[in-house]
Amino acid sequence: MLRVDPLANPEPLIRRVYAYVAYRIGDGPDAEDITSETFERALRYKKSYDSGKGEPVAWLIGIARRCIEGRPPTLEISSEQLEAVDHRDLEDDALRRIALSSAVGRLEERDRELIALRYGADLTARQIAELQGSKTNAVEVALHRSLARLRIHFEGEEPGVRKSRVQQ
Amino acid sequence: MRSWRKKREGLDLETELRANRPEPSRELIHRLEARVREDGRRSRVGSFRVAFAGALAAGVLAALASVGGLGYAATATSQAVQKASRVVHAQGVTVLHRAQSASRDQYGKPKAKKKKKKHKKKARGVRFRRPPFTG
Repeated sequence: MLRVDPLANPEPLIRRVYAYVAYRIGDGPDAEDITSETFERALRYKKSYDSGKGEPVAWLIGIARRCIEGRPPTLEISSEQLEAVDHRDLEDDALRRIALSSAVGRLEERDRELIALRYGADLTARQIAELQGSKTNAVEVALHRSLARLRIHFEGEEPGVRKSRVQQ
Repeated sequence: MRSWRKKREGLDLETELRANRPEPSRELIHRLEARVREDGRRSRVGSFRVAFAGALAAGVLAALASVGGLGYAATATSQAVQKASRVVHAQGVTVLHRAQSASRDQYGKPKAKKKKKKHKKKARGVRFRRPPFTG
């Protein structure tokens, strides 16, 4: 039987793993470190990958989860960081991105994990359920609730107000 | 700023989350891609070595088979096994020679050795002896 190379096309995998990690612990050098560590472990244990159990991205996300669990928890994006960013004349997209990442950072660990798996790693509800050992329906319901909580945090963000305050 | 708020009013959070997904730096992507490729090249070289060794062994076997070398090798092996078994059973061969010796012809069959009777050992202990007659 031919062995499938899970890292045959690495770039999309790097992007998805990084997005997952960044949604979990915040964008930046820590996320890059975790992503690198994930790929190092993946290379070391490449032979343990079983294509019958799932796609390579799900396997990599499992490794990334363990890498994150092995690290001390990182703090959410601080308001000081946001203030510093607001000094610059940012585009709308950039402002939205910052507000979104800040809102994700304010979520509880479980909600953040779900958001990261669904929208960072781009896994389906079924894949998330397999990864977490739960039912697809339960994951869908939990995701819906997590999104509702994220919306509350996101709508609470007012970068425009903060920016004007800083400019005064 | 107004456009940002306007967009947020009809917010599709799922689309926002996908569109504003954190992106890794180009440098990280290049570094990890290079690392993965290097590892793949190494493993390919390793598997090539194994395949080369296997092909070489198969070639040697095929060459031997074409000139009857395999039959020759099999015969040599079986002969070696026979020799070895003779050496191992050398004691048995000596007995055969003794049976056909001149002394054996002259004096006939060797007498069967008497089996020594085994005396039962009496249980140790203090034996009773009659005291000597003193008159």
